[in-house]
Amino acid sequence: MMRRLPWGAIAGVGLIALLALVAPWLGLANPVAMDVPHRLAGPSGAHWLGQDEFGRDVFARLVWGARVSLTVAAAAAALACVAGTALGVTGGFLRGVVELLALRAIDVLLCFPPLLLALLVVTLLGPGAATLIPVLALVYLPGFTRVAYAGVLTARSQDYVEAMRVLGAGRTRIMLRTILPNIGGPVLVQVSLAMASAVVLESGLSFLGLGVVPPSPSWGLMIGAARATMTQAPLLLLWPCLALTLTILAMNALCDGLRDAVDPHPAYRPARWRLLDSLAPGLLPAERAVLDVRGLTVEIDTPSGPIHPVRDLSLQVFPGETLAVVGESGSGKSVTSLAITGLLPGAGRVTAGAAWLDGTDLLRLPEERKRRLRGGAMAMVFQDPGSSLNPVHRVGAQIEEAIRAHRKMSGGRAAAAAITLLRRVGIPDPARRARAYPHELSGGMRQRVMIAIAIANHPRLLIADEPTTALDVTIQAQVLDLLADLKRESGLALLFITHSLPVVAEIADRVAVMYAGEIVEMGPTAEVFAGPAHPYTAALLRSAPVEDGPPPVGIPGVVPPPTALPTGCIFAPRCDRRLAECDAAHPALRPAGHGRVTRCIRVPA
Amino acid sequence: MTWFLRRLAVSFVLVWVVASVVFLAIHLVPGDPAELLLSQGGTMPDASVVADLREQLGLNKPLLVQYADYMRGLAHFDLGQSMQDDSPVSEEILRRLPRTLELIGAAGLMAVVLGIPLGTAAALGRGGVFDRIASGVASLALAVPVFVVGTLMVMLFAQTLHWVPAGGFVAFTQNPLQHLVLLAMPAGAIGIGLSAVMFRMTRAAVLDVMLRDYVRTARAKGVARPRILVRHVVRTALMPVITVLALYLGTLLGGTVLVEFVFNWPGLSGALVSAVNARDYPEVVGIVLVISVLFVGLNFAVDVIYGLLDPRVRR
Repeated sequence: MMRRLPWGAIAGVGLIALLALVAPWLGLANPVAMDVPHRLAGPSGAHWLGQDEFGRDVFARLVWGARVSLTVAAAAAALACVAGTALGVTGGFLRGVVELLALRAIDVLLCFPPLLLALLVVTLLGPGAATLIPVLALVYLPGFTRVAYAGVLTARSQDYVEAMRVLGAGRTRIMLRTILPNIGGPVLVQVSLAMASAVVLESGLSFLGLGVVPPSPSWGLMIGAARATMTQAPLLLLWPCLALTLTILAMNALCDGLRDAVDPHPAYRPARWRLLDSLAPGLLPAERAVLDVRGLTVEIDTPSGPIHPVRDLSLQVFPGETLAVVGESGSGKSVTSLAITGLLPGAGRVTAGAAWLDGTDLLRLPEERKRRLRGGAMAMVFQDPGSSLNPVHRVGAQIEEAIRAHRKMSGGRAAAAAITLLRRVGIPDPARRARAYPHELSGGMRQRVMIAIAIANHPRLLIADEPTTALDVTIQAQVLDLLADLKRESGLALLFITHSLPVVAEIADRVAVMYAGEIVEMGPTAEVFAGPAHPYTAALLRSAPVEDGPPPVGIPGVVPPPTALPTGCIFAPRCDRRLAECDAAHPALRPAGHGRVTRCIRVPA
Repeated sequence: MTWFLRRLAVSFVLVWVVASVVFLAIHLVPGDPAELLLSQGGTMPDASVVADLREQLGLNKPLLVQYADYMRGLAHFDLGQSMQDDSPVSEEILRRLPRTLELIGAAGLMAVVLGIPLGTAAALGRGGVFDRIASGVASLALAVPVFVVGTLMVMLFAQTLHWVPAGGFVAFTQNPLQHLVLLAMPAGAIGIGLSAVMFRMTRAAVLDVMLRDYVRTARAKGVARPRILVRHVVRTALMPVITVLALYLGTLLGGTVLVEFVFNWPGLSGALVSAVNARDYPEVVGIVLVISVLFVGLNFAVDVIYGLLDPRVRR
């Protein structure tokens, strides 16, 4: 969990803390000893950074100032951490009245801006370092309570906490043993945030004369005092400003680093120039095919090096035809569709191959021309209609946007066209639904909206990436019927990506079976299902439940990770009909009769 | 609509609780305010003088009666008299509050104008030269405390370059230009840090939204890039950014103290510091209460705006 610790920031903060800790033994001048005759004296051998308005040694005061600041900040953060976490954990765990009281108390505390809260308490208790610690602790307490409470909420619903409760463990023990270690990371981040922020607040209050009391050295006090003499001795002002800023900079860097270590996001790589632009164009496209993909290879950068989730993939889709691409998750189906449409994420790129849409090679088009094809001649429907529609725009507006991205049309006419489209995809009362937001529609309705968007500009090719996976079975059937209707009426070519064999059987004219980044078998659906020409297809069919048929049989083993592909046939390690030759060389696709191809060497050519 | 009313009711309850907490804080803390007030300077005050002051402040009535008086006063917007010059506290607050709000408004404007476009630009060119430079500058701006920025600005622009006065205040009606010149320094000092906060928030939010499915849908629709950016990315990314801005502006209501002190800006928080120093309880209570109520009001406003921007919240 705690990877990539911010060592630079840790070293910086550690150095400052160490300096503050050993200040008494550094042989520094007495930070409070006055030497009025030498007031405002410049740097000298005895006083490295000079002397202040009372002739005190500035360097000694800086180091001792760090001691005061960090002590106050650490004590306040520790106090806030213990009290706040305890409040959050007990509140979240005991529930009921305690929970209510703890949360409401925090809400009230959050009604006061932090500095205001501090000033109110200082009024009541008087200034001084002893007051500062509880004041600052009070300011940072809500943060800890919230983090701890959120952690407990997550933990208390988890199975092992339930299990411990069932086993009869006491509440206190459950709290100490399971929940505290779990919220450790976020609490640590909160500690660093509170400390950094406490240093700022302490110096600010001291600057106003409401924090650390003179003659104790404090950076805030030093800056406040040096203001009076800033024209005669500007350096006197600069040193504490610099010390304070550098300390906060180091602490902020530590906070950011800790936060990233506790909650890592995937490493980002900027999009690299596509190699393909420099490649020579390949073969010419097949005559009538709407989509003709040849030798498509995709590379994606990962922290452990580039992987190739799709390798040497070729397929054609003809007008009025449905080609289903089927395979387990991770087989490269979705990457294929994203590569064809030019929507690969930044870390991915096409390194070889061509994809012709009606004779235009999509992979070599400039982005602007590709944009004009997307949503126009080539449309897409994605898996999760819930997240694929923008939550803050009305669905009618989102359909209009698709229309007006490709055709010049007045707002009124586009709105009318959107309503017509909604009616076309079978949404009742389309004029009213057009004004709805996505969250106001059911999942099936949302997918119909996505389909309306896709067909808005009469596409030649529709790519549907698992369009029914997120829907329940009855809705699934309706959406499949709708797609079949559309295909029949407009003669569009449908590339249908799915992991579900029953769906393939229902909708597809031809099927391409993908395994670990390549097509292992392709042919007319009925014939492939009746007599699979590749052991993987056969295994896949055996693993799907059939009505009144034999019980499903799982496929032994797992899909090889893209970083460790076998050198021979990639399915060989899991194959029940494996031969010695299977491991020798990577098999090419070979014809298997009746327009079928397979990658299995056992099939006679 | 019920969502709006429920939220409004919660805000009113919070205001009442805050008022009660402030009242209790003053009255339950050990020590007699009258005695503390008169014992400034280390001399033991005369018992009869203390008794007179207690009488005058109503401190010898039972606590519940004092609470009722206090609440009755609040209901009529009466915050009592200042102990320093016997003037009504509410008058002083009404005179100074607009100046603090103006300061916060100007700083907020600067943060929006600088932080949001730069943050968006940095996110779009993530990892590039501009992103690195801008992110570095923002880290530095976040690390310099506001009173350090202010003091350094005074040293540079007022004491060394003599471009502007070191601070002060002139009413807009008296001399509009001078008013704006004097406003620019404190507002700038606050605005630098606030712009850095806005920059970081915007950058993170835009990066997050760019990876969302609905942005991919917009690209799949063939929508042009500038339009995707404005309508789908920035529009959605701005919601958390605006929330954070509003919350920061809220904390600034009490946080302009330092800048008002540095630039001698006669705002509300400056009055709070002098009231704290003088232990002027009615004035401290009045100011704390007004700021807290504004803070609660602001949070309420943020919720309402959020509801308008994001239809999913209105449930």
